[in-house]
Amino acid sequence: MSHFDQAVSTTAGVNDPAWRSTARSTAFGMFSDDAMPTQDDEIWRYVDLDFVMDDYRPSAGATVDLGDDPLAAHIPNPTVVRVVDGLFVGEDSFAEGFTVMSLDRAAAERSDMVEVALDRSGISADGDIFKAASAAFGGDGVFVHAARGIVAPSVVAIDIQAGSNGTASFPHVVIAAEEHADVSVVVHLRSHVDTEALIVPQFSIAVGDGARISLSLVQNVGYGVRSIGSLHAEIGSDALFRFGEIGLGGRLARLHLDVGLEGRGSAANVVGAYFGEQDQILDYRYFMRHVGTNTRSDMFLKGAVEDDARSVFTGMIRIEESGQKTEAYQTNRNLILSDGASAQSVPNLEILANDVKCGHGSTVGPLDLEQKYYLMSRGLSPDSADRLQVRGFFEEALGKLPHPELATPVREWINRKYETAQAEGRV
Amino acid sequence: MSNALEITNLKARLGDLEILKGINITVPFGEVHALMGPNGSGKSTLTHVLMGNDAYEASGSALVGGIEVMGLPVFERARSGLFEAFQYPTEVPGVSLDDLTVEMIDVADDPSAARTRAEDASQFLGMDRFMDRAINTSLSGGEKKRSEMFQLAVAGPKAAILDEIDSGLDVDAVREVATMVESLRSPSLGVLVITHYSRILRYMNPDRVHVMVDGRVVESGGPEIAERLESEGYAAVR
Ligand SMILES: Nc1ncnc2c1ncn2[C@@H]1O[C@H](COP(=O)(O)OP(=O)(O)O)[C@@H](O)[C@H]1O
Ligand SMILES: [Mg+2]
Repeated sequence: MSHFDQAVSTTAGVNDPAWRSTARSTAFGMFSDDAMPTQDDEIWRYVDLDFVMDDYRPSAGATVDLGDDPLAAHIPNPTVVRVVDGLFVGEDSFAEGFTVMSLDRAAAERSDMVEVALDRSGISADGDIFKAASAAFGGDGVFVHAARGIVAPSVVAIDIQAGSNGTASFPHVVIAAEEHADVSVVVHLRSHVDTEALIVPQFSIAVGDGARISLSLVQNVGYGVRSIGSLHAEIGSDALFRFGEIGLGGRLARLHLDVGLEGRGSAANVVGAYFGEQDQILDYRYFMRHVGTNTRSDMFLKGAVEDDARSVFTGMIRIEESGQKTEAYQTNRNLILSDGASAQSVPNLEILANDVKCGHGSTVGPLDLEQKYYLMSRGLSPDSADRLQVRGFFEEALGKLPHPELATPVREWINRKYETAQAEGRV
Repeated sequence: MSNALEITNLKARLGDLEILKGINITVPFGEVHALMGPNGSGKSTLTHVLMGNDAYEASGSALVGGIEVMGLPVFERARSGLFEAFQYPTEVPGVSLDDLTVEMIDVADDPSAARTRAEDASQFLGMDRFMDRAINTSLSGGEKKRSEMFQLAVAGPKAAILDEIDSGLDVDAVREVATMVESLRSPSLGVLVITHYSRILRYMNPDRVHVMVDGRVVESGGPEIAERLESEGYAAVR
């Protein structure tokens, strides 16, 4: 018998309004029919999913508490909310035209608002078993909404704590900025270092015409956690979506990004920095769809792997026939720091319009010997020279983060990972 | 008494290509010497072999302040008091000159003296606007040389080899660099200025000039050698 049955799904949806209830039971049907993806599916090609859902059980309530979020300490006057084991914990927060509340509660109390946002940028349950599971068994998380013209008074810092041991949780963050609104959110995804859990975070981002949403996601879960995330953003005319992802933790950490540049003049800036070690697998599937004219996108990711870690970046820029005067760029640079580590970097372009500017760059390689020689000629030990070079490698990505205040802690985390690897002789 | 730099019978090859065929040069403390030679004669190779670049197979001796550096790893040679100003300084993206300076001060024999040297040189060379910029990245030719001179000052070496410190610079910048080199003169340092043209030597007073052709020093003498090379070209020494 499965841990993930109809009764569990029904219980998860006890507060659902009618539209969500329907969606949930459809999703449960899909979940029951879905098999675990295999590497024959192009979109899972580089990842061996060596587990089944029933290796985990649904989380039975918020139990973990990791204390204050160290990341939030770097953000000036944040509005802090917490999601533990998939459940919103704490107080809703309301300001003039600006709402930060439990998604479950919002779906019940502000049903229309949530429905509109999810109509636009919800993640389709028929994508795969994880997306179906999220719609069938999840439901809570955070709803961030800014009404027309509202500039959010503070950065929303969402502390998502992943699972008690052995659980699967499905936190969902929905961010909607109506016309000309401006919203800024930092998500810290974390767990105890030794937690073994599955977390399926979902991000639904609706950027209204002329609006801006800045979102940073710092993925810092322990090496026993599998994180299989999805982000779907739809961007209106002359609107801007800025997204930064920092990938540090997870035995398997995947993020499937799907950004639709729908409106004329819409833009997306996507930046990433990741560092894998031990036998971590970091899997990035980034899709950028240019639908409107005069749209602009830039994807820029830098990553390093050491030990037996593997990283995958598969980027796709698709420019529809309607996407004339588009500018789109993707860059992915990877450092291989140990013989056992590897990185796949696969940028793709699919261009159906004829008046566009596109560029892509992709590199995978070791530290640069000339740089090392130069630094050592200044008296730096080989280890110090490497450390400086690794640090320098990430600076370009850190300089593009939507929240510059995160650069300091992120730099420290990355440097510490590398220094530990040096101290333990893995690089 | 030891010399700043004492190179004896230094040979280097790259695979089958014999580049340095037994170099002998001595630079006493307090002196500035010039090493001249046509392109391809082996001047940069000499610099890299002294610094410990392991691309080359090398033999012979190089004493820095009396200490043998051949066989030491690159960073140990630097810490023994040898400094190389690169002909083509390497770009190190994302690492600022300030970051590097902090590390250099950290490994110095006397960190507080190194910090003082860094502050003085920063002021003297007007480095303020460079310190936050990535090393040698999007700098003009003259700015790169200035950055090399600054690092030399921070390192406080016993022997400094400046490889084509004048290359790619306009006349004013050459004069400026020459002034910086002359300002380095000190009883605790010997300098070897490598140049292809005698131009920079017009603005300096080298104590001796060595001429290198095809991997050998073919002539060593006073500054008059540079004057002769300027009027007659390298044909005169071949
Ligand atoms: N890394 C290298 N690969 C191939 N040839 C080299 C290399 N370094 C030096 N050489 C050769 O060695 C000779 C000396 O070069 P170099 O030391 O750069 O001379 P200089 O600095 O006097 O112009 C030249 O013939 C050059 O082509
Ligand atoms: Mg040369």
